[in-house]
Amino acid sequence: MTDATMSSITAPPPSTNGRRSPLGSVLVHAGLIAASFAMLYPLLWMLSASVRPEDEIFASTTLWPSSVDFASYVRGWFGLDVSFGRFTWNSLVIAVLTVIGNVVACSLAAYAFARLRFAGRNFWFAMMLGTMMIPYHVTLIPQYVLFLDLGWVNTILPLVVPKFLASDAFFIFLMVQFFRGIPRELDEAAMMDGCGPWRIYWKIMLPLSLPVLATAAIFSFIWTWDDFFGPLIYLNDMNTYTIQLGLRTFVDSSSTSDWGGLFAMSTLSLVPVFFFFLFFQRLLIEGIATTGMKR
Amino acid sequence: MTMRMTRRNVLAGGAALLSYSMLASSALSQEARLRLLWWGSQARADRTNKVNQLFQSANSGVSINGEFLGWSDYWPRLATQVAGRNAPDIIQMDYRYIVEYARRGALAPLNDYLGSVLKVEDFDKVQIEGGSVDGKLYGISLGANSATMLVNTVAFEEAGVELPTPSTTWEDLARIGAEITKAGKRKGYFGLSDGSGVEPLLENWLRQRGKALFTADGKIAYDANDAAEWFAMWAAMREAKACVPPDIQALDQFNPDTSPLSLGKAATSYAHSNQLVAYQAINKDKLALSNHPLIGKDAKGGHYRKPSMFFSVSAQTKDPELGAKYINFFVTDPKAAEILGVERGVPESAAVREKLAPTLDELGRSALDYVSGLGPLAGPLPPPPPSGAGEAELALRTVAEQVGFGQLDVKQGGETLVNEVTQILSRG
Amino acid sequence: MAAVQDSAVAIGAGARGRPAAQGRLAALWTNHGAGYMFLLPWLVGFFGLTLGPAVASLYLSFTSFDLIRSPEWVGTANYVRIATADPKFAASLKVTFLYVVLSVPFKLAFALFVAILLDRGVKGLTVYRAIFYLPSLLGGSVAIAVLWRQLFAGDGLINSLLAQFGIEGPSWISHPDYSIWTLVVLSVWQFGSPMIIFLAGLRQIPTDMYEAASLDGASKFRQFYKITLPLLTPVIFFNAVVQTIEAFKAFTPAFIISGGTGGPINSTLFYTLYLYQEAFGNFRMGYASALAWILVLIIGLFTAFSFLTSRYWVHYDD
Repeated sequence: MTDATMSSITAPPPSTNGRRSPLGSVLVHAGLIAASFAMLYPLLWMLSASVRPEDEIFASTTLWPSSVDFASYVRGWFGLDVSFGRFTWNSLVIAVLTVIGNVVACSLAAYAFARLRFAGRNFWFAMMLGTMMIPYHVTLIPQYVLFLDLGWVNTILPLVVPKFLASDAFFIFLMVQFFRGIPRELDEAAMMDGCGPWRIYWKIMLPLSLPVLATAAIFSFIWTWDDFFGPLIYLNDMNTYTIQLGLRTFVDSSSTSDWGGLFAMSTLSLVPVFFFFLFFQRLLIEGIATTGMKR
Repeated sequence: MTMRMTRRNVLAGGAALLSYSMLASSALSQEARLRLLWWGSQARADRTNKVNQLFQSANSGVSINGEFLGWSDYWPRLATQVAGRNAPDIIQMDYRYIVEYARRGALAPLNDYLGSVLKVEDFDKVQIEGGSVDGKLYGISLGANSATMLVNTVAFEEAGVELPTPSTTWEDLARIGAEITKAGKRKGYFGLSDGSGVEPLLENWLRQRGKALFTADGKIAYDANDAAEWFAMWAAMREAKACVPPDIQALDQFNPDTSPLSLGKAATSYAHSNQLVAYQAINKDKLALSNHPLIGKDAKGGHYRKPSMFFSVSAQTKDPELGAKYINFFVTDPKAAEILGVERGVPESAAVREKLAPTLDELGRSALDYVSGLGPLAGPLPPPPPSGAGEAELALRTVAEQVGFGQLDVKQGGETLVNEVTQILSRG
Repeated sequence: MAAVQDSAVAIGAGARGRPAAQGRLAALWTNHGAGYMFLLPWLVGFFGLTLGPAVASLYLSFTSFDLIRSPEWVGTANYVRIATADPKFAASLKVTFLYVVLSVPFKLAFALFVAILLDRGVKGLTVYRAIFYLPSLLGGSVAIAVLWRQLFAGDGLINSLLAQFGIEGPSWISHPDYSIWTLVVLSVWQFGSPMIIFLAGLRQIPTDMYEAASLDGASKFRQFYKITLPLLTPVIFFNAVVQTIEAFKAFTPAFIISGGTGGPINSTLFYTLYLYQEAFGNFRMGYASALAWILVLIIGLFTAFSFLTSRYWVHYDD
């Protein structure tokens, strides 16, 4: 019974492409391409701003630069006291650790909430949701004092350790919703076969949840990559700065800013996240099918 | 298996980085160490770091750990560190916030070091007093600047109007603005930025009328009639298309990249003299510094030389004397002065100024000339803004927008502004 | 007493996978222990890192705390002021409600629509998906402020397009009547996250259900209505709840686009932006904490309401 259900879930979806008329197909693509341009216009503008002369960035409204110069990239990469390579590495370390922490810790908690019955479950679930609702600006100072007492300030620990303790309720809630969508007969059958909760979690829940785990990984990575307030408060030494802090260093609203450098490095900083996204979206799409093949 | 290996590698890499950063911070704690925090750009950091190295080589056993951030990121980090009792030893302080930090005991008074460690005898006395709160000295000015009107000289020329001079009045400027707009040499271009919400501009105007923004004991120093008249003057200029319409003005966040001047919307903007470099960097046309207009032919100007920023010593520092020593080096050492230029404002020491003048580039030179050439247009320094001044500035801006967009008439605007500012200041 | 004995027996029996009734009891017991075992990392984090600061901020909301001097107990004064004498509280709450009501439905509808479009074998869908996700990669980057001005300022792209039809638009981003809309558009433009979650949800729907339905001759629309939508409700519910919470707490877009002022004329003064101004601009952390806990209360009520109604329209498989 388990195997039958599994294989039906794990089969890739049928393609419906053949059923669409050629005209319909053209229309869909025309729509998608138009939408793509709307999506991309601001990014194209950013790209163009990164290669145009500094005194043209703000006054000009066209997409085409009057002249193209890649000096901003060189200046942006090497112009600060610490090179952007260092920032990229720092961001990568924090982001990768965050991905691991979130996926592991949140999936454990989510499994408990989604499948196990225990006293106080609803209470803890409500508490967990409650932690999502507090604006971080007001818990910032007490938390800073806490991390200062632990001696963690100016290390990446305040940014990473909480993730291994499932501090991001978003991902727990997300995984709960997906775990609850997995047919219950599967774990009931496994329980009949003598599987404990750990085995069910490891052998059924996780493999069948690859799409949501990939989703969590993608978001963890990107949001960590984009976060600047946490690093702003906890990382003081420029050698430990992340990309976002580096980018913000280009801009000082009270004096000279390096706008070319900002746009050049903003453009470059999208590359790693974009590849991370491409890689994991493959998992997101093929996740279920590959699980089926492995079995 | 491979999966496990890679995961272990990543973890190991992370652990290595952690221990690295811990080592880095503990290795330094052997010697006297000063943490220095300032806001600014990389250009400012380059200069500051060079001075730090000079100081370190002149004082063995001392290491300076500099951190810098852009203006808007600077304040939350500083507040958090002060609140967490982890404040940097030396803090760059703004005229607006020195009262807030000093009154609450976050800064160390420097009076004891005057004459011994701090040798600022040849500083402009007024500027030294500018760093005082309740009779105690909490900050040493790093340079002076003054409010200024930035002018796009090319746009003025194209329109065939004369550049403003020290005797230009508001009436003249309104006419000039309307002429530039009318000349229509550029698309969607106006003569002036709308300055009705610009606090230093209002202050200048009030000072010419014998008023001020705040009294010495931190109350509002103008009344609803003053404010209404101010708004009326700008309403007339909007009407005559001498200045930009309100929705374009509202783009202005009072920084170089959002000003109508830089966006190619207007031929003037209102800023501080040390910002000329920043504005020029993103403007194609040549900019010039001009004083604010007079309220009448016989009026005396409302300008003053303002400490552009201070260095303060944290009350939490272990060695305030070392901090004072560093600041003294920063503002008096001739080599340091040469490195720093006028980037933080025109140096307060007359001796330093004299040595510096020939080494400056054109933009630095204009800033220096402007500040030291104000002459009779410049009056005494007002007392540091009271607690709540930041909120009051935002209130001015909001009310000016309400008048600009027609939600309030000028009379209501004047009353609303005075009411709000009075409330803000009484709350403290 | 008997129950204890029973469960003790049941543990022994359950371990060897024997009689069904006792097995269920065993499962019950194991689940209590197991539940807390699985929850352990979260509990450690909750008690060790989250609860303390949260309680501290609740305490601070009853004090006057200027970040530098020690907090001073003022009782309910902060709350009284919020309720009676703070026009900016009302203004910012209004802006925030408007933002929630406008941005959440548009964003979710758009994300769901695109997800469904992209889920069904369109050629090159990987490329489209990546392109559509790109804006979300930017997050709250400082570059957004400049980009948005390029689109929505007086001479921005939008007005250039409108000019083709002879319409002269205002500077949308800096006009008090329209500025909130540019933030709504920004929110919808970054619809990538809910889209991905919808996609993941669509992927989890067992395909044999569609096959069976096609064999029965159900139309595509009917399949969507009878299979896709009901099975997707847990994910729709999740996105709705989470996006609503996030929209209530939204800070960065208004902060970067208005330069932290919430202008023009407080038209983009999000609740958390006001809270931030009070905490870090005006040194009133106590007051800001009180504002924060009122927001928690508001969001909590919304969320509780969503959970209460969810039993009528969200379908779980358990």
